[in-house]
Amino acid sequence: MATATATETAGPHKEARKRPYVVVFGILAVVTLAELNVYGLGIPHLETITILVVLATIKASLVVAYYMHLRYEPRWIALIPLGGLALVAVLVAALTATSVHP
Amino acid sequence: MAHPEPAGHEEEEHHGSPWPVIIAVGMGVAYVGIVTASIPMLLAGFVIFAGGAGGWIHQDMQRPSSAFYGLAAAVESKLPRVSARKLGLWLFLATEIMFFSAIIGASWTLRLRTTTLGDAFQGPWAQPGEILNVPLTGLNTFILICSSLTMVEGLAAAERGDQRKLRIFLLATLLLGMTFLSIQAFEYQKLYFGEGLTFKTAPFGVNPLYGPTFYAQTGVHGSHVTAGVLAMAYITRKAFKGGFTKENHEAVELVGLYWHFVDVVWIFLFTIVYLI
Repeated sequence: MATATATETAGPHKEARKRPYVVVFGILAVVTLAELNVYGLGIPHLETITILVVLATIKASLVVAYYMHLRYEPRWIALIPLGGLALVAVLVAALTATSVHP
Repeated sequence: MAHPEPAGHEEEEHHGSPWPVIIAVGMGVAYVGIVTASIPMLLAGFVIFAGGAGGWIHQDMQRPSSAFYGLAAAVESKLPRVSARKLGLWLFLATEIMFFSAIIGASWTLRLRTTTLGDAFQGPWAQPGEILNVPLTGLNTFILICSSLTMVEGLAAAERGDQRKLRIFLLATLLLGMTFLSIQAFEYQKLYFGEGLTFKTAPFGVNPLYGPTFYAQTGVHGSHVTAGVLAMAYITRKAFKGGFTKENHEAVELVGLYWHFVDVVWIFLFTIVYLI
């Protein structure tokens, strides 16, 4: 898997390859359907929220990796959105810490 | 004048254009209009901006889309080559991550505080599905996912040089984006005028902060989808004029990156605003 990624980042003009776009679409559709039905499972509220956030993260990761081609780009490009996400993590930590005890 | 060009620069063709400067002037005038509360100056800024954007689009429509590697060449020896425009777009998307995080973070903070304070602070937060139409928005989410598939298939068609499929997929993406916005407009109309979820009031004794946070989060996303639809309309028109080739189609890739990012934001917004 790592080898395939390395060879695909070789040049700016990549040859069109068979990429799993439709498979990813299928997963996104199924996960969306699952999200809509999570509350029907009767799971406690906190666990439901955790499941929903995990499912959303899976969907977003698939879109970024395959549709935004991050999996096929030079790896250092990923540092750019990760930099933004690092600041988001700081924001979430700060807001959560100050919001629990108003 | 015999300056040797660095390797890889021979094929670059530099296009000077006055339009970005005119756009910047328009935005500057509009900003001064906002700061000084001068409506005529604000309108003048918008007119200059619109003229600059129109001129730039018209100029760009005349030639094929091509990647520009000039600035990226500086780091080329250490890092694999990435077009300067793509690098710029990724940097822009990083700022967008922070922008949306600020909006969502502010809304989430208000929600946590009102939940903690409970009925003592003008009522609780709405439960999932209590006010919002979750199945309708689930359908809208599916439409946006479909548009991401058609977008990426359009790019794949461009990479293969398949003009027919490129046009079909871009047109499909444009129509799906417009459908998403139409459903969102329908939802807003139902909520605002039907349910009474306004910027100051909420039905069923729900906290009045629920309305503004809902409209702020989904509204800024909707404005991004609108920008994406406009960009999509532009590249679709250019595709129908034969403006993209197997070698030159970077605009399709860049608009696609933005479009998928808007989809990613919606994936989280759908969960946070509608399901939790």
